[in-house]
This record gives sequence, C-alpha cells and structure tokens, in this order.
Amino acid sequence: MTTAHKFGPPVLRVAGDMGLLVEFGTAYDPAINTAVIEFELAFQRLALDGVIETVPTFRSLLISFDPLTLDYERLYDACTTLLAHTDWYTLPPPENRRRWVLPTVYGGARGGDIAEVADLMGVREDQVIDSHSGLPLTVAMLGFSPGLAYLGQLPELWDFPRRTTINPGVPAGAVLVAVRQTVLPCVEIPTGWRQIGQTPFRAFNALAAQPFLLAPGDEVVFEPVSDAYFDAFSMDDYLRRASP
Amino acid sequence: MSGFEILSIAPNATIQDRGRSGYLRFGVTGGGAMDVYALAEGQALLGNGPDDAALEFAAYGGRFCARGRLWVALSGGDMRTTLNGTPVGWRCAFQLEDGDILDVGAATQGVYGYLHVAGGFQTQVVLGARATHPGAGFGHVPEAGQVLEAGRETSEQGAVTLPTPRYLLGREIRMMWGPQSHYFSDEMRADFAGSTFTATSTRDRMGVRVLPDMGDVYSDAGLSIASDAINLGDIQIPGDHIPAILLADRGSSGGYPRIATVIGADLPAVAQMAAPRRFTMAVVSRAEAVQAWAKLQSELAALPKKVTPLVRDPREMRDLLAYNLVDGMLRGDEYDNG
Repeated sequence: MTTAHKFGPPVLRVAGDMGLLVEFGTAYDPAINTAVIEFELAFQRLALDGVIETVPTFRSLLISFDPLTLDYERLYDACTTLLAHTDWYTLPPPENRRRWVLPTVYGGARGGDIAEVADLMGVREDQVIDSHSGLPLTVAMLGFSPGLAYLGQLPELWDFPRRTTINPGVPAGAVLVAVRQTVLPCVEIPTGWRQIGQTPFRAFNALAAQPFLLAPGDEVVFEPVSDAYFDAFSMDDYLRRASP
Repeated sequence: MSGFEILSIAPNATIQDRGRSGYLRFGVTGGGAMDVYALAEGQALLGNGPDDAALEFAAYGGRFCARGRLWVALSGGDMRTTLNGTPVGWRCAFQLEDGDILDVGAATQGVYGYLHVAGGFQTQVVLGARATHPGAGFGHVPEAGQVLEAGRETSEQGAVTLPTPRYLLGREIRMMWGPQSHYFSDEMRADFAGSTFTATSTRDRMGVRVLPDMGDVYSDAGLSIASDAINLGDIQIPGDHIPAILLADRGSSGGYPRIATVIGADLPAVAQMAAPRRFTMAVVSRAEAVQAWAKLQSELAALPKKVTPLVRDPREMRDLLAYNLVDGMLRGDEYDNG
C-alpha cells in the first residue's frame, strides 16, 4: 500500500502462547493512537470466538485469546485481512466518542508544582492554565492503575521530562503533566509527573454500574474552577447533568 | 453462618479466586490466585465451584479459630500446620468443630499456600471477582479480628487428600519470544535461553526477580519505546538489568523492554519457585506451548477424580505423627512440568 505519511506499516507480533500484538508504531503519536482505537472497533465487530480481551494502548492493540478455542493462524489471518482493508493511520477519531468537561482547580494546594512547570515552559502561571485548559485533549490509553487516563497531546512547549524523583503519593483526580501529556489518576499513586491541578471528577468507581467512565478516543477538556466549586462538587449531580 | 476468626495473619495474605477478566483495557490486571493449580486443588478437595475464593498465603500463614462447624482444605506450597497444636498434613480437606485452632506456619516447599473453606470465603465481589488487589485498592484485606464467612457448612467429599504435584519441584520453565525480543541482540537472546537462573526473594504478587548466571541482560534499542500492554508471564528487563517475571498483580502497561514470555502452563511453577531455586528457561514452539496448556487444563479438570479418602480424619487422631497422612511420593502421572 502506498501511503503519503511516515507511519506504518502495522506489524503483527507474537505475544506468548495466548497473545497477539498488533503494533502500529513504537512511539506515541495521535495518528498511531487513532489507528489503534479504530482497528480495535473493527476487530471487535468480527466477534471471533475465543478472544478473551483486547487492550488498546498508545501504539498497539494486545489481543488475548484462548488457544484451545481460537487457532493462532486463524486469528493472524483475520488481523492481516483487516489491516489490509484501509490505511488505518489516516482515519478520523471515532464518531461515537464522548466529550467530557472536567472542572479543575489549577495551582495552590491542589496544583503545587505549577510554578515549577511555568519555569520549565518559560511562561507565567496564568499562561500555564490558559494553555492547558480549554484545549480538547484525547484519551490515548488507560493503564498503570485502575482507570488512570493518559491524555494527548499538548503543544510542544509542554515537552519537558518527568522528574527523576518519585512523589510517593499524589491524590485521585490529580492533573499531572510531562512529555506533552496529561495523566489523570483515579486512585492515589506514586509518580514522577508534576501536579498542576486537581479535578473532583472520578473516572473510576468500582461499585458503580459503569465502573469506568473514560475510554480511549474520548475527548477531555479541563475547565478552571475555584476551590469552593471543587468542595461543593458532586459526582452524582455531574453525571445527571452531563450527556457526553 | 460458620467461618474463621482471624487470630493473627501474615501481612501479605490476600483473598484470591480466579481473578478478573476483561478489565486490562481499564488498567486493571487479572489478579487471582498466583498458583491456579493450587486453587483448583482446593476446589476439588471440597467440591467447591470454580469461582470460590480462598485465603492465599505468601511464605507464612496465620492463626485461625473455627466459628461453628467448618470444612477446610489446604493446598499449594506446603506450610507447617497444626490443628489444636497437633501437626496435620497438607493437600487435604477435613472438618473443624467450633473453637478448633488451625495454625498455618512457614512454607516448607514453594511460596504460596492456600486455605479454603467449603463454598469459599464470602467477601465482597468487586469488578466480578473477590481477588484482593492491594495496589489497586480493592478487594477484601484480611486482618486479625475479622471473621471470614464460609459459603457452606458441609462438604460431600469427606476427609480427603490429593497427591503432591510435580510442578512444585519444577526446574525448567518454558518461554516464547515476544513482541519486544527483537530489541535484544541475537547473542543476548542465545545467552539468555542458555543460562541457568536463580529465583530471588525479591518477589511479590506483581512478579519475581530472577538472576541469570550470564550476568546483566540489556537492550540498547528498547529504552525509547512507548508503553504498551504487559502480558501475564512477560519477562521484563528494568533499568538495573535484572530480569523480572511479571505475574498476577503486575502493572497493566509499561515501557521497559521485555525479552520473552513464560508460557501459561508454567506460571504456577514460576509462582512457587522459592529462593534460591536454580532453574533453566527453554524456548518452545507455539505448538508445544499450546499442548502444555491443554494438558494443564485437562489435569485441572481431572483433579476431582484424583481425590482419595484420608487414612483417618485428622480431628479424630491423637498421634498424627504416627500416620503418613499425605503421601509425599510422586506417582509419576501427576501434572507433569516437563
């Protein structure tokens, strides 16, 4: 296939006796990530017997399967055929993706690293907030801890590394930044990412009918709010109001 | 309702069942018993269902008091255990009366031991399973003073036992090359596959560090790759170049390069390798791996048929040391690790 872009072609890789990895690239790029998300949707429509679960990430889709139900060669052939269908790197984000507006307190006690981030970017704190909020970001993948979302992609000014030291505990809802990405944990985690804010929105509730709210491909916008708004926030009310 | 009162318990004990499926995409790994063979042994000894939950101990157990009449089973890596102060065997099921004290001590073989009750422990189900996942913050955390309820008071099986499986003595682990093997040189991979390894005590439910005789394992090319999903059994090479075999409670994704993946059939053996067990790792074909997986599944399904009556019920015996309760001999037809 002739392509006008720098990506691909996708590669199928053996992942143990019960896994097949469909690798669209080795780095994070929105085009690679969208290819993963779109390919997963198409693969799920095949509804192959013996597929246990699929795991989309920044750059690949892991397909876990029961080798006693689904033959590896059959799975490999199905993926090869599907990959040849289209140029996966040029597809738009999924039409049915949801859009979330997340109220966020920037700076202060809930965003203690914002001054350091402003220094790294060479701008003022209010410019950090202006640059980060209002910009539509995309959920690239979930991982590391339950429901933790990696969001891409911020402007190049945000291309600074993670800390080499680990903060032993940032709270659920912390808005963390580095390498042009935003990370949103749902439970307290140790991290080397810098915290510029916090949202009272909780993307994970183990006991809810829908335990995980965010999905890869979803659009997220952070909206600056006051500490008073944060303190009065109710997740139940939010979900009643929101029709993302 | 009958159950166990926890008088004391090792801090790394958890409730485990078959674990969760379908949540890896949300950052939740499967969890579940580190040794699925041992979990199945307990279900067979008590006639439990496949989803019933047990207490999993790592290297050390705890002290438990029966509240009401209770059927229990012990499985997995052997642990020094007494009933009201008298030693009892391992890999067997028997009845307790109200007030009986079961003391599960240190492991004498393997790492993970399991205490089962008829009907399984009735702790809260989260995301479709009872498996405790301390890192993720859900599932029941067993602590002294709690009473863990049993699902049933009776067992149709009676006082029974199972033969000792061979995988607990496993010294060869089988693996397949994986999606990131090509980040390691051909020479490095050949050395890795030909090396002898030592299991270390740096281990938990996330994984186990293993020391290869070949020395440091490293990849020059694989340090800049973006994170993707981590498979059960992946052998990750972290920054310190000491391989880690990643297990039930591993992180769901990661960026350190992974050199190979342990086949599904050998995961119970990896989980039970206590330091400083020496072992080798052999590369096998897909056909061999799938055949081994099929064999493990049929062995698990056949466990109920291997259950035999105990010579005498431990509760009725005055001098248990005079009896050979659990035959430690290998019969040769048990789950075969090789």
